[in-house]
Amino acid sequence: MPNETPTANARVVAFDVISFVAFAMVIALASAVVLMAAVLLLAGRAHAASEPGMLLLRTADGAQAPAAPLLSTDVAFRVSGMVARARVVQTFHNDSTEWVEGVYVFPLPENAAVDRLQLRVGERRIEGEIRERGAARRTYERARAAGRRTALMDQERPNLFTASVANIGPRELIAVELEYQQTLRYEDGRYSMRFPMVVGPRYVPGALKVSAPQDTGWSPNTDLVPDAARITPPVLRPEAGAINPVRIRVELDAGVPLAQVSSPYHRVAIHELSDSRRRIELADGPVPAQRDFELAWTPRAGQAPGVAWFTEFKDGAHYGLLMVMPPAAAPGTRLAREVVFVLDTSGSMAGASIRQAKDALAMALARLAPGDRFNVVEFNSSAQRLHEEAQPVNPRNVRHAIDWVHGLDARGGTEMAAALRLALDGTEGVGRVRQVVFLTDGAVGNEEALFRLIRERLGDTRLFTVGIGSAPNSHFMSKAAELGRGTFTYIGRIEEVQQKMSALFAKIESPVMQALEVHWPEGVRAQAWPRRIPDLYAGEPVVIATSLDRLEGEVRVTGLRDNRAWEARVPLALNGGGAGMGSLWARGKVEALTDSIREGAAEEAVRIQVIELATAHRLVTKYTSFVAVDRTPARPSDAQLKLAAVPTNLPEGWEYDKVFGELPQGSTNSRFALLSGAALLLLAMAMLRRRAA
Amino acid sequence: MTPARRKLLAWRCVALALLLIGATQFGHGAWIQGKAWLAQLLIAQAWARTLAGERDVRPWPWADTWPVARLSAPSLGIERYVLAGADGSALAFGPGHLAGTPLPGAAGNSVIGGHRDTHLAFLRLLQAGDELRVERADGSQVAYRVEHASVLHKGDFWVAKQEGPDRLTLVTCFPFNALRAGGAQRYVVFAFELTNRGGERGTRG
Repeated sequence: MPNETPTANARVVAFDVISFVAFAMVIALASAVVLMAAVLLLAGRAHAASEPGMLLLRTADGAQAPAAPLLSTDVAFRVSGMVARARVVQTFHNDSTEWVEGVYVFPLPENAAVDRLQLRVGERRIEGEIRERGAARRTYERARAAGRRTALMDQERPNLFTASVANIGPRELIAVELEYQQTLRYEDGRYSMRFPMVVGPRYVPGALKVSAPQDTGWSPNTDLVPDAARITPPVLRPEAGAINPVRIRVELDAGVPLAQVSSPYHRVAIHELSDSRRRIELADGPVPAQRDFELAWTPRAGQAPGVAWFTEFKDGAHYGLLMVMPPAAAPGTRLAREVVFVLDTSGSMAGASIRQAKDALAMALARLAPGDRFNVVEFNSSAQRLHEEAQPVNPRNVRHAIDWVHGLDARGGTEMAAALRLALDGTEGVGRVRQVVFLTDGAVGNEEALFRLIRERLGDTRLFTVGIGSAPNSHFMSKAAELGRGTFTYIGRIEEVQQKMSALFAKIESPVMQALEVHWPEGVRAQAWPRRIPDLYAGEPVVIATSLDRLEGEVRVTGLRDNRAWEARVPLALNGGGAGMGSLWARGKVEALTDSIREGAAEEAVRIQVIELATAHRLVTKYTSFVAVDRTPARPSDAQLKLAAVPTNLPEGWEYDKVFGELPQGSTNSRFALLSGAALLLLAMAMLRRRAA
Repeated sequence: MTPARRKLLAWRCVALALLLIGATQFGHGAWIQGKAWLAQLLIAQAWARTLAGERDVRPWPWADTWPVARLSAPSLGIERYVLAGADGSALAFGPGHLAGTPLPGAAGNSVIGGHRDTHLAFLRLLQAGDELRVERADGSQVAYRVEHASVLHKGDFWVAKQEGPDRLTLVTCFPFNALRAGGAQRYVVFAFELTNRGGERGTRG
């Protein structure tokens, strides 16, 4: 265009540019409208709960009482054979200049028999006494009001306790020392001992109730979890740094030569004292209370015990612990199965847990055999299943399921009942094998209601729980598996998925040992727990705690596997090294009594029996608490006492905002897209123009 | 082909590529805005059916969400249909009601989230004292008065607490002029219910 004036030329260029860009925009808009229809088609699933308003949101201010005492814990274990005794010292350090009452909610193993408590003030030690729960609280409150130093320990759940310590003076240290006895897990030739350190924030379903002013939990009580405020200690944001240091020392006497000792989640230093004895300590000093500690050991090949029998003579009665390991199962004929996988995708699973769970599920899906049928259920604020009906296993279905699971996000509530209803249909079918594999952290407050649901709807299905993450709810895992007539497994790290899931599948694919019975010798009066021995999966032993009037003759254990009878005989000899067997027996009886409420026993009758038993054996139970009172008044009557809940860490690998909620994201990239799109169009036009000119 | 021509061709190719990317980007932006606008039209019909007595009416057959309330700001002439669920897939089509909080208009603290560049862009124009209205599925009307607004962090979930007066809590992203999505700040408007309302309210959930 050499003949035109520069101005005219510029005008033409500008007009061309504008018209071209406008044209491009019109084209883009038109395609956008077409795409809009497509987008409606492709709209993803909205996680809208079907019953909004039915569940209660977890809320936390993150605000922490300034006067909360600092807590440190010191744990010493003495392990002998398959029993452990632990001494846990919780030191409350009041760093403030005021008088403080500290409340600490903490976990213990779900089968711990807590049988001793001492209050330590300087050099003084005050022995705790077992009282009925209400009476213990009144004693504590009177001492608190009188300015005396006092400690109270209540059981909230079999694995969840509250320690309250009142009248901790300014800059003062007060320690609570508790002891418990525990049977260890022995499975697949491997012993393991778990020590939980932190209570993961629990999901609290139900409608809100008015909270009492002294409640220290982050959740108000609800109709479904009437004690929610007692089981939800304040949780510190992880950015604030980890608190509550724990020291751990284990004196291990395995009783047999050891092949291997390991601690999968913490670095430990292991000192070899002899063939069968080790001293184990945390390698890097104290660790923050933010994940379970586990110690596992395996006897040398050929040294694994097939039978163990320990006794204790206490208050005119013998108490014994019996362990019998059935011989390894011959692989049976593999029956076609229907497996339903249930995956917890609630907010507490976000982070490391959901990765472990997805990996485990993908592995389990890949292991299904042609001829099997399967389905997958996922749940958070609501539950949904992949298919209406279980589908046959074929590469396409499995691929589809793996992709579906891969696309799931962990967020929202933990409406576990909805998932259990989908997975357990309460039916029975001749000749079928139906199994439910339930992957969860068990972070719920309504365990009892869920146990009832499992009991009602189980039918002939078997329920296997897989506890995921750094701080699974062990009470939920073990009791749900017991009621579901299955077994439980823990996966605490992604590296364990392969081995733990293989072990689980080996168990559920092998024939079980059933119809187990214990025959006590003629003339010996024995009362043994559990009363009904559950079916045993491959690698699991029979473990019974019993009381006996005398030790003579031999006990027979019989069972049936693959229609072949099995029998073991153990002489009932006096066998030392059984200190604490009485506590274990009483703990077993308390559990059996408590379980009977679920089966229809009157709670009041059970309560009276439990109180009587627990008082005789000095046990903390749902109905009995330890209380210790220092006789000397400490706090001047004019000094105020401040109540403060000891905050806990968020379990390792959890995501705070996913547990306590996150405000919805309120923006799109549309403006950026419009602006950058327009800029690019202009640039492109300018480039074409310049070259053409 | 001379080197000059080859260079020209390359230049044109680059320009055309930019043109294409630009058109796609622009189209994408227009599509988000258009979708947000079009969906509300479809939802209006679903809401009419809801008022007529149907439950959980899906605005299009494959939708996974449905309108739960109509929110209006009379002073600004704004009207929005609130959808069930406050996650990305619902928010593309309308402001979303956060599951677990009471429904808009019910007793307690009802939390609604939405995009600052589409449905909830009007939040920046709200002043303390402005009135908001909620129409519920049963046709009843509930009035609210804007109390105040705060800029908070996305982790400040305490705003969903149920204690305190019956209210609406409206959440959108902040700052309003940011070009990109995904910031950590939230603009939260608190509107308290005006008393003297006829009719029975839903129970706190």
